[in-house]
Amino acid sequence: MLRQGFLTTVAALSLMAAAAMPAQAEVTIMYPEWIASLVEPGIEAYKTETGDTVNAIKLPGQGYDQRIALDLSAGTAADVNVIDSFMVSELAAAGYLTPLNDMAAAWDQYQYYLPGLLEVASYQGNVYALPTDTDVRMLWYDKSNFEKAGIAMPWEPKSWTDVLDAAQKLKDAGVQYPFQLPAGTKQGEAATMQGVYMALLGADVPEGDRNRLLNRETNQWIGDSPALRRVFDLYHQVYVERELNPADLNYATDIGAAVRQALADDKLGILASGSWEDACLWDCNAPPSREERDALVGWTPWPGSGEPGTKATTNISGGWAIGINAKAADAEASFKLVTSIFDEGNFKAWTLANHRMAVRTDISESAEYTADPFLAEATALAADTTGRDTIPGYQTVSALIQQATSDLLDGASVEEVIQSYHDALVDEFGEEKVITYE
Amino acid sequence: MESTSSSRITAVALAFMAVIWVSPFSWLFLNAFNPMSTGQLEIPRSVGLDNFALAVSGNAGKQFLNSMLIAAGTATLSVIVGIAAAYPLSRLRIPGRNAFLWTLVLLRMLPSAGVLVPLYFAAQRGGLLNQFGVIVALTILNLPFTLLLLKNFFDTVPIELEEAAYVEGATLFQIVTRIVLPMSRAGIAVVWFYSFTGAWNEFLLPLIFARVQDAFPMSVGLYAAFGQQGAINYGFLTAFSIIYAAPAVGVYFLLRRNMNTGFAGVGVKG
Amino acid sequence: MKNQANPWLTSNLWVLGLGMLPAAILIGALLYFTAWAFAFSFTDLALVGRKSVEWSWVGLQNFERLFTRRGFLESLWTTVIFVFFSAIVGQSVLGFLLAALLRGTQSSIRNVVEICIMLGWLLPDIVAAFLWSATTSQTGLINQLFIIPFGLKPINFINEYALPVVTIANIWKGTAWSYLLFSAALDSVSREVVEAAKVDGATGFQRIWLVMLPIIRPHIATNMLFITIWTFTYFPLIFAMTGGGPGTATQTLAVFLYNQSFSRGNLGFGSAISVAMLVIVGLLSLVYLRMLREPK
Repeated sequence: MLRQGFLTTVAALSLMAAAAMPAQAEVTIMYPEWIASLVEPGIEAYKTETGDTVNAIKLPGQGYDQRIALDLSAGTAADVNVIDSFMVSELAAAGYLTPLNDMAAAWDQYQYYLPGLLEVASYQGNVYALPTDTDVRMLWYDKSNFEKAGIAMPWEPKSWTDVLDAAQKLKDAGVQYPFQLPAGTKQGEAATMQGVYMALLGADVPEGDRNRLLNRETNQWIGDSPALRRVFDLYHQVYVERELNPADLNYATDIGAAVRQALADDKLGILASGSWEDACLWDCNAPPSREERDALVGWTPWPGSGEPGTKATTNISGGWAIGINAKAADAEASFKLVTSIFDEGNFKAWTLANHRMAVRTDISESAEYTADPFLAEATALAADTTGRDTIPGYQTVSALIQQATSDLLDGASVEEVIQSYHDALVDEFGEEKVITYE
Repeated sequence: MESTSSSRITAVALAFMAVIWVSPFSWLFLNAFNPMSTGQLEIPRSVGLDNFALAVSGNAGKQFLNSMLIAAGTATLSVIVGIAAAYPLSRLRIPGRNAFLWTLVLLRMLPSAGVLVPLYFAAQRGGLLNQFGVIVALTILNLPFTLLLLKNFFDTVPIELEEAAYVEGATLFQIVTRIVLPMSRAGIAVVWFYSFTGAWNEFLLPLIFARVQDAFPMSVGLYAAFGQQGAINYGFLTAFSIIYAAPAVGVYFLLRRNMNTGFAGVGVKG
Repeated sequence: MKNQANPWLTSNLWVLGLGMLPAAILIGALLYFTAWAFAFSFTDLALVGRKSVEWSWVGLQNFERLFTRRGFLESLWTTVIFVFFSAIVGQSVLGFLLAALLRGTQSSIRNVVEICIMLGWLLPDIVAAFLWSATTSQTGLINQLFIIPFGLKPINFINEYALPVVTIANIWKGTAWSYLLFSAALDSVSREVVEAAKVDGATGFQRIWLVMLPIIRPHIATNMLFITIWTFTYFPLIFAMTGGGPGTATQTLAVFLYNQSFSRGNLGFGSAISVAMLVIVGLLSLVYLRMLREPK
């Protein structure tokens, strides 16, 4: 009986495949579940307007990056794909994505995109994807615990020393997680972005990209530098030497929930995170009122290290983007679908409803957007932001950085960690692609 | 007979064991029946079936059928292919067969993540990026275990019975279907159940192979709980996983009678 | 020897061969994929980007790095501890004890215990991970029942005892298989032997240790091989519970392999890790095989 059912299904599947042969234009799209409320109305609008069929496949976030890499390299990917922006250059370099410049130039809403954000989704001068949202990063703090520790508010640290001092006071006041600084492989990109890179940008002078992972002039990865050593030392101080934070939140089964719970239980002091926490420190979809949120937590920009010549505050931005498969059957129709998703009405409604940071001036300058004081302030922070080092190889480097922070949590010395980071970079990219700053 | 006091101690120890074993499930059930679930261990303020209603809405029905198809299909295909090869392997004196089977089992140690990329490309070239492809891929990955287990079960069937049947004029087909298979019914149930649960819990292959939304099984559907901006819907997760595990538990009880004696043949005669 | 003379087999050789054909094809496919994994271990193949298409041969470099770079040896040690305590000591011994104890008990207790351990086995890995991290958290069951009532400070078990916690979770999850195997194996020990031992005055412990264990030795060896392989490569539970942390406290080889292959994207190095794992378990299985061959 089982076999019979099985054969019937095989037959049915083949029939379905035959029936799916497009009568008119057909566009396929793949996206992760969390962005459905932006993508799905766009698909509907596209279908109504053109009469084409859209074959959509919605995936859970789990395994999404893996599938998209496999799909694109095997040529089985959808025409339109939602991608984490840090993967764009990597995929573009492999020839998997269509450059969008020409098609986009003919679209009247293209002019509103912020150039810095298009840069993140570009490779060798061509734009390969359009951003859906962006973010900024900052230090959040729990006001009741700051009061308990006797730290003046609004809190405006000027250097890492100020931050560590505050963490020490919080620890002395009995706060369980004085300074939650993302670290370790389980945090993934969060360890690189919310933790290491935010510190790194303020760890040394910006000249010659001494405060980055990559020298963007020569496209060489930085294997050892005073900035890296200072950042690793910061981790060492926080997690090992001064024990300013237990490591476990970084390894919780559900990190987001563990952090939210710690905040709700008044166990959190300082949290290095980003603009999304304005909603997601509570229930992302139904946060408490503005007043309630402001009474519980405050935020401050990440200060520089305090070394001479370093930046006063730092910021780095990420986000997701939508790109088109290089093998898309009908690139024009695919782009049309992208513009339907990003059409001002739909895009603006989604941005506002989800407390996202706008990537377009027509949205960020609208009355509804500027009416939200948090979004307005955070967007001001975005004026001095930077993107990740979006050249191929970034994903690997980011994984190595996460590994380095794991080793630091284990108690490895800064010297050891720098050494293995440098060696791993050389393993991956070769001696000539790695430089050292004294 | 055992003295009463020692059997009472045994019973108490076992009951204690069972309590320890089952107590972590309190978290699962308290969250599943709590409409305001937070993922913490707490007594619900109200009890309701809202989470279960949410879990069975949407694509769950379709996903259940897909899971059944993949799990039952994999188990059945594995057993059929396994029987056809294990019987000759058990009966013919092929040199080095044992070493070969053990090596195959060892090779399966290479994690499926390692073979994922070549497997995917092969399936794409063969037009197998669908449910059938998942079934075939899982059968391939199962086959070493299946072959070794089934061969050991066939080894325990006394060959004298087959001789007697042959003398009475039975054909090979009759010998296999009337004597060998019924006598190793239990072993076949074990292998079938082993393949069934493996396929039932498989996440990555169906996720990567499915070309349309409707082809996802429940193992993928479970991840809908992780949908909203990193916030996990614990009510959905726990309720869905109860619904998800229940059929496999049911299948176990259907097969249990067969399995308890079936495992006796697993041992290998070096 | 005898079966060479079995006419229903010898006259039907081609039918038997035909029956083996599908399995042979599928085994061929398996060997083909496995060969790829072997071949990749000598390349710098990457998951994405240029080196995913234009990879090149790098000789034994990946294998050298297993020993010269941080990670592999540390993870191997963690894996050995994890496998030894969760599979060999935990699942095997506990499974055997349960099977031996339940033999003499009435079926209602047996049913309840069986359902309990079977539920653990059948629960999806990711849910088991959530369940165990909730159970061992500061507000979890263990703290609520055993720590807080005694006026002690709640313990964050995953932070302080990460490896024991994942080990216990894996015992909880995996004992069902060993239990089923051993209870069936004990069923096959003939009642006469047990009764005879009883008449000779052997205690319950002696009956198990001196009479039953030697008889089911082959089952023990097979079970050891299977659960060693499974536990060595078992990944989802640890990965979901701790991601290998805190630090690298629970980074077993399977987690390390995943981090290198997929997070870092170095499939070549990842393949070298899995080949090394294969060799290690291959050596272990020689020990098991010896255990199996040894005369009673």
